[in-house]
Amino acid sequence: MIARLTARYVLVFLVVLTAINAVAYVFMSRSYAAELGPALETPEGAAAYAAAMRHVLVSILLFDVPLVMLVSGASYVLARTHLEPLLAARERERRFAADAAHELRSPLATIATVAQAARVGAQPEIQASLDTIIRAALDASAIVGDLLTLAREPASHALHTEPLDLAILARHCVAEFEERAKAAAIDLHLETQSALVNGDERRIRELLRNLLENGLRHARTRLSVRTNQQGRTATITIADDGPGIEPSQQERIFERFFRSNEQSEGLGLGLSIGRWIALAHGGELRASNQQGGGGALFTVTFPALPSA
Amino acid sequence: MRLLLIEDSVPIAGAVRALLERRKFAVDVAIDGETGLDYLLRGPYDAALVDIMLPLRDGFSIVESARAQGIQTPILFLTARDAVEDRVRGLNTGGDDYLVKPFDEEELIARINALLRRSDRPAQQVITVEDLTVDIGARSVTYKGKDLELGTTEFRVLEFLARNAGLTFSRAQLLERICDYDFDGSSNIVDVYVSQLRRKLKSAGGDDVIKTVWGVGYRLG
Repeated sequence: MIARLTARYVLVFLVVLTAINAVAYVFMSRSYAAELGPALETPEGAAAYAAAMRHVLVSILLFDVPLVMLVSGASYVLARTHLEPLLAARERERRFAADAAHELRSPLATIATVAQAARVGAQPEIQASLDTIIRAALDASAIVGDLLTLAREPASHALHTEPLDLAILARHCVAEFEERAKAAAIDLHLETQSALVNGDERRIRELLRNLLENGLRHARTRLSVRTNQQGRTATITIADDGPGIEPSQQERIFERFFRSNEQSEGLGLGLSIGRWIALAHGGELRASNQQGGGGALFTVTFPALPSA
Repeated sequence: MRLLLIEDSVPIAGAVRALLERRKFAVDVAIDGETGLDYLLRGPYDAALVDIMLPLRDGFSIVESARAQGIQTPILFLTARDAVEDRVRGLNTGGDDYLVKPFDEEELIARINALLRRSDRPAQQVITVEDLTVDIGARSVTYKGKDLELGTTEFRVLEFLARNAGLTFSRAQLLERICDYDFDGSSNIVDVYVSQLRRKLKSAGGDDVIKTVWGVGYRLG
């Protein structure tokens, strides 16, 4: 990163330097030509002119070499002094998030594990209470993870990427939701076309699950999931036949803790996390309504890998 | 089935032990890193569950030392840390899986069973095909003595091809290796992994190590 910034500084300087060199060369060539006047037409004059200009070129280059070295060194120092505090801050942020997650999850882990062990052989009503405790501790742990994710910049350094096919992930995630869809009498429709991305599998599954979760909540009879790749863009779309999204709320739904109405389940973090994941991959997550008064349409785009 | 649990929180250790014993596992508990490593080196365990933040010696270091001494016990990291860096480091030091605490009992049992199933197959530790060496235990690959840096899935694909050197596999068969389950659609992901592997092999001087069998698929050796 420091090297990249240094290179950028040096590049800018080289462009400026080349321009100055060109101007100097042209200026010198004109003033020599003016000085020689008609003598330039004679062979001796032309030879003297050529020799003088060669000399000018060499002088310019000799002048440039130490200058470029000096500026490169200075650029490196400048880039480092600028970036080091930023890199250190990023590292502190990373460590804080990891440590905070650990400290918050440890007591939750004790609660959930001890309750799960105590559940065995307990009376039915106590079992039910313990189940509530276990569920709450696991939910709280998931929220801790979500909040700490959202506290960080969506950037690729928070990801563990490898080549993935969105079609495979979509199929797998949709299969997880099939039973719930059936129970709610919603037709879960899947249409996959291979779409290759460099992505973090765990994160993209999380994004898909959040969108499916959201879709199932709003769909009336049908939820369709599509993946495809066109050129350098890989896309996942999830469309429901619910009431759609008020145009004024199409951006607000991605805000943390936003709930479309008081009765809606969930904490309102799923779509924020979804957008975070898309952005961290260099992609986007957008909400709109289907044409012709259909329900909501969520579109995720990622930079695609060239299909081999 | 005998399991080792290295966990410094006494209530969690007690509860996990109770959960596992109910499923008929025998469980030994170590509550600090040094004791844990000692147990792991001496005992014949079918699998070990290892916390990362431990007194005296952390989980990464336990697994590193155990692997360096040739211990192949499958390892599941159990930890409240879930940063990408920790997960990746956990798997790179020789851990087999990673589960974030708190966890659901069913999830824990499923992961342990998956580990035990995987270690059931008698694994040949080092596979050599001509100039290529794949070390399953250390998860390292060398070509003509040069180390190759491979991602998890790349390693899986190459390991599978090397284990079955000389046989040709279709894209669908390789895909099954990559995603761990049947995928009845079409995908080009196999070609992406194969071309990455070829690029890395080529940089170590290996041309045409993975051969394309036209109309069928890929073959190594």
